[in-house]
Amino acid sequence: MKQRMTLLALVVLLAALPIQAASVDTGLADFSTYVAIGDSLTAGFASGGLAMEYQEGSYPALIARQLGIEDFQQPLVSMPGIPPVLILEHLVPNPVIVRSSDTPGMPINAELPRPYNNMGVPGANLYDLLNTTGDIMNLLAGNTDNVMHDLILRDGVHTQLEQAIGLHPTFATMWIGANDILGAAVYATPVEGVTMTPVDTFAAMYPQALGALIEYTGADVVVITIPYPTVIPFVTTIKPYITLPDGTHVPLIGSNGPLTEDCYVTLGASQLLAQGIGIPAELGGTGQPLPEDLQLVGGQVVPGVVLRPEEVQAINERVDAFNQVIADTAAAMGAHVLDINPFLERVKNGFFIYGGFQLSTKFLLGGVFSYDGVHPQKVGYALVANEVINLINEAYRADIPQVNLYEILVADAYDEEASGASAMSADPARVFTDAAMQALEKAFPLLGPLNSERGVEAGGLEGANPKLEPRH
Amino acid sequence: MGTLKRNRLVVVAAALVLAPSLVWGAGFALFEHGNRGMAMGGAMTAIADDPSALFWNPAGLALQADKGTQVQFGVTLISASQDFSGEGPYPGDGYFASQKDQVFFPPHFYLVYPVNDRIVLGFGMNTPFGLGTWWEDDFAGRYISKRVDIKRVDMNPTIGFKLTDRVTFGVGIIYAQGSIDLTPGLGVVNPFTQQLTDVGQVHLYAELSENDGWGWDAGLHFDLGKGFEAGILYRSQVDIDYEGYGSFTQFPTGYPEFDAAVGSIIPFGENVPVRTSISFPDFFSIGMAWTAEQFTVSAQYGWMGWATFKELPIEFVGHPELSGTVPELYKNVSQYRLGLEYRMDESWAFRGGLLYDDTPQPAESMSPLLGDGDRKGISVGIGWKYKSITIDVADMYLFFDSRSTHGRSIDGYEGRYETSANLFGVTFTYTF
Repeated sequence: MKQRMTLLALVVLLAALPIQAASVDTGLADFSTYVAIGDSLTAGFASGGLAMEYQEGSYPALIARQLGIEDFQQPLVSMPGIPPVLILEHLVPNPVIVRSSDTPGMPINAELPRPYNNMGVPGANLYDLLNTTGDIMNLLAGNTDNVMHDLILRDGVHTQLEQAIGLHPTFATMWIGANDILGAAVYATPVEGVTMTPVDTFAAMYPQALGALIEYTGADVVVITIPYPTVIPFVTTIKPYITLPDGTHVPLIGSNGPLTEDCYVTLGASQLLAQGIGIPAELGGTGQPLPEDLQLVGGQVVPGVVLRPEEVQAINERVDAFNQVIADTAAAMGAHVLDINPFLERVKNGFFIYGGFQLSTKFLLGGVFSYDGVHPQKVGYALVANEVINLINEAYRADIPQVNLYEILVADAYDEEASGASAMSADPARVFTDAAMQALEKAFPLLGPLNSERGVEAGGLEGANPKLEPRH
Repeated sequence: MGTLKRNRLVVVAAALVLAPSLVWGAGFALFEHGNRGMAMGGAMTAIADDPSALFWNPAGLALQADKGTQVQFGVTLISASQDFSGEGPYPGDGYFASQKDQVFFPPHFYLVYPVNDRIVLGFGMNTPFGLGTWWEDDFAGRYISKRVDIKRVDMNPTIGFKLTDRVTFGVGIIYAQGSIDLTPGLGVVNPFTQQLTDVGQVHLYAELSENDGWGWDAGLHFDLGKGFEAGILYRSQVDIDYEGYGSFTQFPTGYPEFDAAVGSIIPFGENVPVRTSISFPDFFSIGMAWTAEQFTVSAQYGWMGWATFKELPIEFVGHPELSGTVPELYKNVSQYRLGLEYRMDESWAFRGGLLYDDTPQPAESMSPLLGDGDRKGISVGIGWKYKSITIDVADMYLFFDSRSTHGRSIDGYEGRYETSANLFGVTFTYTF
C-alpha cells in the first residue's frame, strides 16, 4: 500500500511538472487595473483608525490579491494608525477599550507617484467623492483639518473620483453613501441635511459619480449598497434596560423619559452608564437621563445616545431610499449591484460558519466587527471581499478563488504567518521630496470636463451637507 | 463611514455572553461480520448456510439443522486512511490534513444449536455500526471533532424454522448497546486578538453498558431447485437514547482576563450530564445464488433506511447555551454485492467478491467526524476445513470515491476527502 502511494505521488509530481503557476480565471471582465472608490469601509478603516494591519485586509486589497494583481497600492499608515487604533485593555469586569497610543502612525506610501488603487477616504460621503480634495503638504505641515483627504488624495487638486478615473481602471468597485446616513445613527439623531443627506441631493449626485466613472473609463463596475446602521454593534450592543436577578427589566432613563424595549442605546452611552447616568437612582444610578439627541454645548458636539423606534425607522427608510437610487442608477448604467443588507442579515443570523465556528454581529465576540463597533475587523472585510468575489464570478463567469478565512479567523492558523503579521514594524515617516512631488503632479493630469463640472456641483450643493465638527 | 472622534476611553457596560463553538457532525454501518461472507463481498443473504447466518440472514439457521452445535467467532481488523485537502473559503486551498492511523477490530461471535430437524436456535453478537476518526489536535477542523468513536454492539437471540423442505424462516430479537466517545475543541473569538482561539475541549462519553435499544430481524430462504437459492432479510431500525457526560477542559490562552471570562461561562472541571439519540437505520436485502458442483455465485441487492438519521441532537443538561443539533440529512441508500466461491475439495475453498455501496451522507454533512463517499470494494478469501474446525480468512479493500464538499459544508469546513480502507479478518468455526 505504502509503496503504491509513493509511486502514485511520483506520477502525480511528474504530471504536474509542465504546468505553469496557476492563473486566475477572470472570465469576461478585465481586472488588470482595479480601483476601489468609497469611504472608510473601502479604506479598510477599523477599530477607530486607518492602520496598515487592517488596511492590508481591506476588501479591495483582498480582492486584488485573489485576482493576482501585484501592483495594488493603498495609502498605508504605519501602526498604530491614524488615529491610533483602539485596543481592548480589559475584558473583565467590564470591557475597557482605549486608543493604543497617543502618537499616531505615519503615512508610509505617500510618495507613490500616481493615485492609489484603493481610493477609499474614511469619512467621505457622496458629496466628498465628487468635490473634496486633499493636500498631503497640509497634513505634513501638521494641520489636521482634513486628515483623510490630505492623506489619500494628496495633490490638493483632484477629487477622489477624478483620481480614480485618472488611473484608467478596467474594473472598479464603488461603495459610497454610508456617511450620508451614518451620522444619524452615531449621533442618535436623524436630522435632514445635517446628519443625513436629503434623498434628492443623493439622487442628483449618485448618477454623476457613477456616470463619470463609467463614461470616462469604460470600466466594469460593481457598486455596493449602504448598510443599515442598525446592524452595527455600536447600536445593538447595549440593551435599553437593566435586567434584575429575578429577570424583570428596569428601563434606562433617557432625556425624553424611560426607554421602551424597542429603543437602541449606542456604545456612546457606555461611559455615561459607567458613571451611573441613565440608571434609576433606586438601582444605584444617578437618575440623570441619557442625552437622547445631538446637542451643541459650548460649540462642542455632544452626541445623543438613544435611538427611538421612530428614529430607527427614519434612518432605515433613508437607507432604503438611497439604495433604491443606487440600484436604479446601476441598472441604467450597466453596473452590477452588491446588496450589502441581505449579506449583513446573514451574518446576523449566523449563516457564516467556518470550521464549526459561527460568526455573528456581536460586539467583541462575534468575530466580524472591530473595536469601534461600526467598522468590520479583518474577518468582516474578508467576508465582504468574498461577497464581491461571488458576485464577480457570477456576473462575469469568472472563477476567482474565495479569500481564505482560516488564516484570517483562526489564531495560529499558520504559525509562521501569524508571527510575521504580529511583527509588523512601524516604518518611519517619509516626507515628500521635490522629485516625488513633481512625479505626483505629472501623475495627475487635469481632467478637463470633470473639473469644470465640479464647480457647478460644488455651487449647487454648497451647504447641503454641513460637516459635523470635529470630523476626524 | 466616519472616523468618529470618540471619547478616548470606551467602557462597555454590557454583559457579554461568550459563545463557544460547539458543532456536532456523523454513516457508519459495518458489514463485515463473518469472513466467509466478507470474502464473498457480503453477498450472503441467499447462502447463509453457516453460523454467520445470524448476521446475513436468520433463515439460514434452519439450513443447519443437521450440522450439530456450532460455535463461530472471529475478528476483522479494519485499518482506514483518510486525507483531507482544503478548499475555499475555509480552510482553503493548500491546507492538508491526514487522519491518525488507527486499527479497529470489531469481533463477532455466533452460536447455533439445532433443537430438532425443523427448529434451530441461535445467538449472535457483533458490531453492526461503528465509527472512528482521529485527527491531529491542532488541525483546522478541531472545533468539529478531533476524535470520535461510536459503536453499536448487538446481542441477537434468534430462532430458525424449516417451514417446508424448500423454505426456511428465521426471526430474532436485537438487544443493542451503544457507546459514544467524542472530543471536539472549543473555540471562542478572543476579544483581545479578535481571532478564534482554542479555549479548551469537551470530552463527551456515553458508556456501552448504560445505553441500549431494541429491535428485531427476520429472514426467509428459498431453495428454488436446479441449484438456485434466494434469500430475503429485514433488520429493523434501532433507536438508542444516550445518557452520558461531557467533561470540559480549559486551555490557557495567555490572556488571563479572557481565560477568566471563558471560565465563568463554560463549566470546566465538571461532568455535565449529556443526552443524545441516534436512530440506526433499518436494512433490507434480497439475494439470489446459484450453485453448480464446486462453484457458487451469489448476487445481492441491499437497501438501508439512513433517512432516519436526520440530525444528531446534543443536549447538555442545564446548559442550553452549549447544547445543539447537528444536521445530518442522510438519505436512504442502495448497495450491490457479488460473490463467488470455488470449493476445490473437502478442505479448501477459494472466494472472491465485489461490492458497490452508495453513501447515505450528503456533501453538506461531510465533516471530520465522517467524510464518507460511495465505495467500491474487492475481496478475496480462503476457507480451510479440517475435521470439526473451519477457518475462514478474508481480505477486503475499499476504494472510496474522492469527494468534495463543494462549498456546501454545514460546518463551513470545505475540502476533499480521499479515503481507503483495508479489512482483514479471520473466523473460526467449531462443530460439536
